[in-house]
Amino acid sequence: MSGIFEYNGGSIVGMKGKNCIAMACDRRFGQQMSTITTNYQKVFKIQDNILLALSGLNSDIHTFYALMEKEINLYNLKENRKMKPTTFANLVASALYERRFGPFFVTPIVAGLENGKPILATYDSIGCKSDLDDFQVGGTGGNYIYGACEAFFKPDLSPEELEEVIGQSLVSGCDRDSLSGWGGVVYVLTEQKLTVKILKTKQT
Amino acid sequence: MIDFDPSTFGLAHTYQKEDKDEINTLSMPSAPQVIYRSLNGPTQTNGGNKLNNFKHGTTTLGFVFKEGILLAVDSRASMGSFLSSEQVRKVIEINEYLLGTMAGGAADCQYWLAYLANHCRTYELKNGSKLSVAAASKFLQGILIGYKNSGLSMGCMIAGTDLSGQHLYYIDNDGMRLKGDIFSVGSGSTYAYGVLDNYYRYDLSLDEAVELGVRAIYHATHRDTASGGVVRVYHIHQNGWTKVHDGIDVVDLHYKFAQQKGLVGDGDEAKQRLF
Repeated sequence: MSGIFEYNGGSIVGMKGKNCIAMACDRRFGQQMSTITTNYQKVFKIQDNILLALSGLNSDIHTFYALMEKEINLYNLKENRKMKPTTFANLVASALYERRFGPFFVTPIVAGLENGKPILATYDSIGCKSDLDDFQVGGTGGNYIYGACEAFFKPDLSPEELEEVIGQSLVSGCDRDSLSGWGGVVYVLTEQKLTVKILKTKQT
Repeated sequence: MIDFDPSTFGLAHTYQKEDKDEINTLSMPSAPQVIYRSLNGPTQTNGGNKLNNFKHGTTTLGFVFKEGILLAVDSRASMGSFLSSEQVRKVIEINEYLLGTMAGGAADCQYWLAYLANHCRTYELKNGSKLSVAAASKFLQGILIGYKNSGLSMGCMIAGTDLSGQHLYYIDNDGMRLKGDIFSVGSGSTYAYGVLDNYYRYDLSLDEAVELGVRAIYHATHRDTASGGVVRVYHIHQNGWTKVHDGIDVVDLHYKFAQQKGLVGDGDEAKQRLF
């Protein structure tokens, strides 16, 4: 397996629903063909209404998350207010482009709720933002998850339905990728709460 | 006069001429010829990095114990990181008293083990007695030495029963042939050896041996990305071989073993932060 993006493996997916968003990720932390742990965190809560999912090189996943955590904390302190999801989506793009000639080897997905309206943005590793789609994927299993998403997804799903659809898409996609899987976590964010569910998946 | 015609020079051609005489039954297509031998050494497979060589992406194991030989294999086939199948049959039934395991190139293993089966049957008909395991494995070794450095990829175990008992051989594309009591082949073999070496005893009962084989394969499938699917188990005894398990799903095994330890098995034993 060549490629820095295939070194650790992993998959993420984000979806929009009716006044809600969902993110899902696998839980594998591996080094090429060997699996090290099965409880690695890849989705981070940046703020009560913003989730950041990262796939790619695990070292950069951690570093980039720490950088974004720092940015949002400083913003909260300086501006004395919460950051809007669309602002954060732009911040991610700028932070990635800042490292244009020595990039972070990550493909992030940002999801949030702005005044009840769902926001979903995805990027390549140097910060090209794409925020017009209803679902996005990332990671080594991404292409396989796309297929499952196209089959299961419908616009304006309720939070319960969205949780079911995103869970199924992640699991079906990861089952065809040898570098992703070993568990799954689904996060569903609504105006009222964030629900986190651990999926029972193949552990092979 | 030695024939210097390049198309027939070398060991490979001898295996074609063999049975062309009387027995005119369903003869196998001619064995492939090596037309050009590279002077550059072994054909590099997958950039020469053995650990990432997906052609050996598998876990197979076999061990000798007091009730005969146990073979256990996984069933995953991957093309790079894409899983092409989870239902492959990696134990090839050569005949009723010989089994071969597949690791490396599937096409290579399937073809040459079928070729071996043909040879064994022809020998049996010509000579009135079955070919011994030692002779069958040596025949295969001879073929592979003839194709050395041409890029064949095979790491198989030949296990069977004959008049002198049950025997296990390891054969690979480099021409290595080893007789032994415990072998594990493939990318997941390191994980399987860990379990196998820990609990192996010659005087295991059949049930204990099956349990050991299944466990070793399960642990390899959990850690190795190129192994997975289902576990298939075969037992070789003095009357031939028996298929003990046609396919136990390793996912079920994971949750069963976790439950035995009092855990859920979803990776949350360490109670990691989720968000």
